[in-house]
Amino acid sequence: MRIASKTIYDRITGSLQSTYSDMFNAQEVVSTSKRINKLSDDPVGLVTVLDLRSSLSNIEQMGRNVSMGKSWLAASESALTQVNDILTDAKELTVQMSSANIGSSERANAAELVGEYLNEIISLANSQSGGRYLFAGTNTDTAPFALNGTTGEVDYNGNTADFSIKIGSGSNITIGKVGSEIFGENWNEDNIFKTLVDLKSYLQSDNVEGIQEVMGYLDEHMTKINAEISEIGGKTIRMEVKENIIADLKLTYTDRKSQLEDADVSEAVIELNSKQLAYNAALTSASKVMELSLVDFMAV
Amino acid sequence: MGGIGLVLNVAKDALLTQQYAIDVTSHNIANVDTEGYSRQTAVIEAKDAAPYGGFIFGRGVELNNIIRNTNDFIEARLQSGQSDLGYVSEQVTYMNVMETIFDESSSSSLSTQLDEFWAAWNDLALNPSGSPERNVLVEDAILLSETFNNLNTDIGKMTDQINNSIQAGVDDINDILTKIADINMKIVAIETTGNANDLRDQRSQLVNELSQYMEVNTYEYDDGNLVVTTGKGYTLVSRGDTYPLTLEGDDIILESSPSARIDITDSIESGAMGGWLEMRDNVIPEISANLDELAKSVIWEVNSIHSQGVGLDAFSSVAGSYAVTSNSEELGTVNSGLAYYDKIADGTFNIWVYDSSGTPVSTTVTIDADVGGTSMDSLAADINAIANLSATITGGKLNIAADSGYTFAFSDDTSNVLAALGINTFFQSSSSRSIAVNEDIINEKNNIAAAKIDSSGEAAEGDNSNALKITELQYKDVTVKQWSYSEGTATSGDITNTTLDEYMHMLVSSIGIKSQSLQRTMEYKETIQTELTTARDNISAVSLDEEMTNLIKFQQAYTAAAKLITTADEMLDTLLEVR
Repeated sequence: MRIASKTIYDRITGSLQSTYSDMFNAQEVVSTSKRINKLSDDPVGLVTVLDLRSSLSNIEQMGRNVSMGKSWLAASESALTQVNDILTDAKELTVQMSSANIGSSERANAAELVGEYLNEIISLANSQSGGRYLFAGTNTDTAPFALNGTTGEVDYNGNTADFSIKIGSGSNITIGKVGSEIFGENWNEDNIFKTLVDLKSYLQSDNVEGIQEVMGYLDEHMTKINAEISEIGGKTIRMEVKENIIADLKLTYTDRKSQLEDADVSEAVIELNSKQLAYNAALTSASKVMELSLVDFMAV
Repeated sequence: MGGIGLVLNVAKDALLTQQYAIDVTSHNIANVDTEGYSRQTAVIEAKDAAPYGGFIFGRGVELNNIIRNTNDFIEARLQSGQSDLGYVSEQVTYMNVMETIFDESSSSSLSTQLDEFWAAWNDLALNPSGSPERNVLVEDAILLSETFNNLNTDIGKMTDQINNSIQAGVDDINDILTKIADINMKIVAIETTGNANDLRDQRSQLVNELSQYMEVNTYEYDDGNLVVTTGKGYTLVSRGDTYPLTLEGDDIILESSPSARIDITDSIESGAMGGWLEMRDNVIPEISANLDELAKSVIWEVNSIHSQGVGLDAFSSVAGSYAVTSNSEELGTVNSGLAYYDKIADGTFNIWVYDSSGTPVSTTVTIDADVGGTSMDSLAADINAIANLSATITGGKLNIAADSGYTFAFSDDTSNVLAALGINTFFQSSSSRSIAVNEDIINEKNNIAAAKIDSSGEAAEGDNSNALKITELQYKDVTVKQWSYSEGTATSGDITNTTLDEYMHMLVSSIGIKSQSLQRTMEYKETIQTELTTARDNISAVSLDEEMTNLIKFQQAYTAAAKLITTADEMLDTLLEVR
C-alpha cells in the first residue's frame, strides 16, 4: 500500500498527542487522588457522590443537634436530680419536725432551712444551658420562676410550648420542658413551691398536722420528679443511640463516597507508569521512523 | 520522416518529456507539506507510430497530461466528516467551559452552598434567639444567592461568546464563498485549454474549510464550475456569483436575491456553526432554565414557610418585594403580573396588631384567588380597614405600616398571598439572575422568622418551630419543572417527588452526561476522520521516497535521451566522413 510522507507525520503527531493526553489524565488522577475530576468523568457516579455529600453534611448537622440536645438533657437531669435530693432532705426534715419532742425554736430554725430549700429549688428551676432557661418552654430568654414578693407565691413566667430540636428527617425531640408541668401549674398541693412555702409557715406556726400533711405531698413531688428524670434518661439513651447511628452512617457514607470518588492510589500510579511507558515508546518509535528517508541514501 | 532525423526527434521529445516529468516531480517535492495539495502525475504516452520503409516505427514519447491524484468519493466523505466533527467539537469546547462553571469539586459549588444554607437554618433552630446564628444564616444565604447570580452571569457570558463566534463564522463563510467564486471563474477560463490542478486543490481546500463551519453539498459542471449549496440545497456559490449570509439578531439569513431572504438558522444542523447554534438555542437555554427553576423553587419553598412565621420583633412597617403590573387585576391570575401568582389560593391570613403594652388584636383577612376575587387594591383596602394599620401601594408593591406605638405580625396564611407579595419573606426575586436575600432581612436580622405566633397572639424568642419547618424542606419532596429545549423551543414537564437537593444534583449530572456523550462522539468522529484522511493521503499526498525514486528514474531517462543525441550525432559524423 502506498503511504504518503504526510501520513507518517500525521500518525506520529496523533499518537504522541493521544498518549500524552492519556498520561496527563493519569497524572491528574494521581495528583488529586480523585477518580472524578470533572463532571463528565463519571456523571452517574457523580450524582451519588453529590447525594452522599449532602447526606454527610446533613448527618454532621444532626450530630451537632444531638450533642446540643444531650447537653441540655444532661443539664436538666442534673438540675432535677438536685431538686430530688433537696426534696428528700425536706422529707427527712418534716419527719423529724413532726415529732412531738421538737421545740418551737428548733422548728423556727427548720423553717429557715426550708426557706433555703425553696430558694435553691427556684434557682434550680431557673437552670440554664448556653444562656437559655431549660424549664421555660420556648420563652428561653426569661427566668421562668420568680418569688412574688406581694403574693408570696412563685410565679411561672415561661410559656407552655415545648422547645424541640431536630435529630433527623421529620424527627423532632423535646429537650426544653415547660417548667409549670414539672413544678406545678396552679398554686395548689401539686405545686412543689407551694408545698415548701406552706411547710415553712407550718414550721413557723408549730402546726404539726400541717407538717404531716406536707409529708404526703413531698412524696408525690418526688415521684413526679423521678418520673421526669427517668423520662430524660430515656431521651438521653435515644440521643445516644442516634449518636451511634450517626457515627455509623457517617462512616458508611464516607466509605461509599470514597469508593466512588477517590482513586486507588497504587492503581493510579501503575496506570501512570504504563502511560509513561507508552509515551516513551511512541517517542522512540517516532524518532526512529523520522530518521528514515531515501534522500539520505542517495549519492549527492 | 525516418532515419537519423527520427532518432534526433525522438531524443529531443524524450529530453523534453523527461524534463517535464522532473518538473512535475519537483512540484510534488516542493509541496510535500502543503495543506490540501494533491500529488500530480505526468502522464507520459508513446507517440503514434508512423510508417517508414514498409515498417511502422514508433515516434517516441510525449507528455499527454498532468493529472491530480484524487478520489471524489473520499473527498466528499471527508467534507461531511469535517462538518460532523466541527459540530461536536465546538459543543465539547463549550461544555468543558460549562463543566468548570458548575465545578462541584470546589467549596463554592452550588451544592455546597445549598448544604451550608440548610445547616445555617439548623443552627438557628438550635438557638433561635442567637444573633450569631442569624448573622451566619444571612451570610450563607447571600453566598447562595451570589452563587446562583454568578452561574447565571457565567452562562450569559458563554452565550455572548458563542454569538461572537457565530458573527465571526458568518464573516469567514462569506469570505470563503467569495474566494470559491473567484477560483471558479479562473478554473473555467483555464480549463478550456488544460488542467487547473493547483486551483482545484485550493478550491477543494476552501470547500473543506466551509464544511468545518456548516454542512455543504457540491456539484461540478463539465466546464469546471463548482456549485456549492447548503445541506438543505440553497445555493451559496455558482460560477462567480455568491449568496452571502447575514446575521439578523439571532437568525442567519441567506440572501438568495435582494428580495428572497431565507432564514436558514434551524436548517444548519452540522459543522461548527451548527454546534454553536445547538449550544446557544438548546443546550444552554435548557441548563439556564433548569437553574432558574431551582432558584425559583428554593425562593418559593423558603418564602412560603418564612411568611408564616415571626421574627424576634413584630413589624412597625413592612414592604412587599414582588410587584403587580396592575393594581386592579386579581392577584391569583396571570394578569396580576406577580411572579408567583399561580401559588395564590383561596384562603385567609391573620394580622396581629399590638399596642405599646403588647396586647394583641387579631384580624382575619380573606383572599379569593379566582377571577373577580382579591386584587391589590381590594387587599390594600381590607388592610386599611384594620385599626391602627395603613396599607399603600408603591410601584405595584404592597407596603403596610402601623401607627406610631403599634406593631404588627402575621400568622396562619393559608392563601400564600403574603409569600407571593414578598411580605415577611426571606428571599426576593424569582430567578437565578436576581435571587437575593430580602433587604428587610439584611437590614434587620431580627426579622428572620424562626418562631410562630401562637393562638393567643404571642411569640416566644426561644420558639424555633418555623425554623424547624424550613430545615424540613431539605427532605421535602416538591414539584418542580424539568425544562428541555428542541429547535430553540422550550417544553417542560413537572417532576414531583424530588427534593431540591436531588433536583440540583440531577441538573449538575445532566451537564456531565451531556459533556461525556459529546466527548465520546467526538472521539469516534475523530477516529473516522483520521482513517478517511489517511485514505485520502494514501491517494493524494506526496511520498518523498516515491518522488525521489521518480526523480532518479526520470533523470536516468533524461541522461539516456541525451545519449541518443550523441549517438545520432556520431552516426551523422560517420556518414559525413564517407568520401
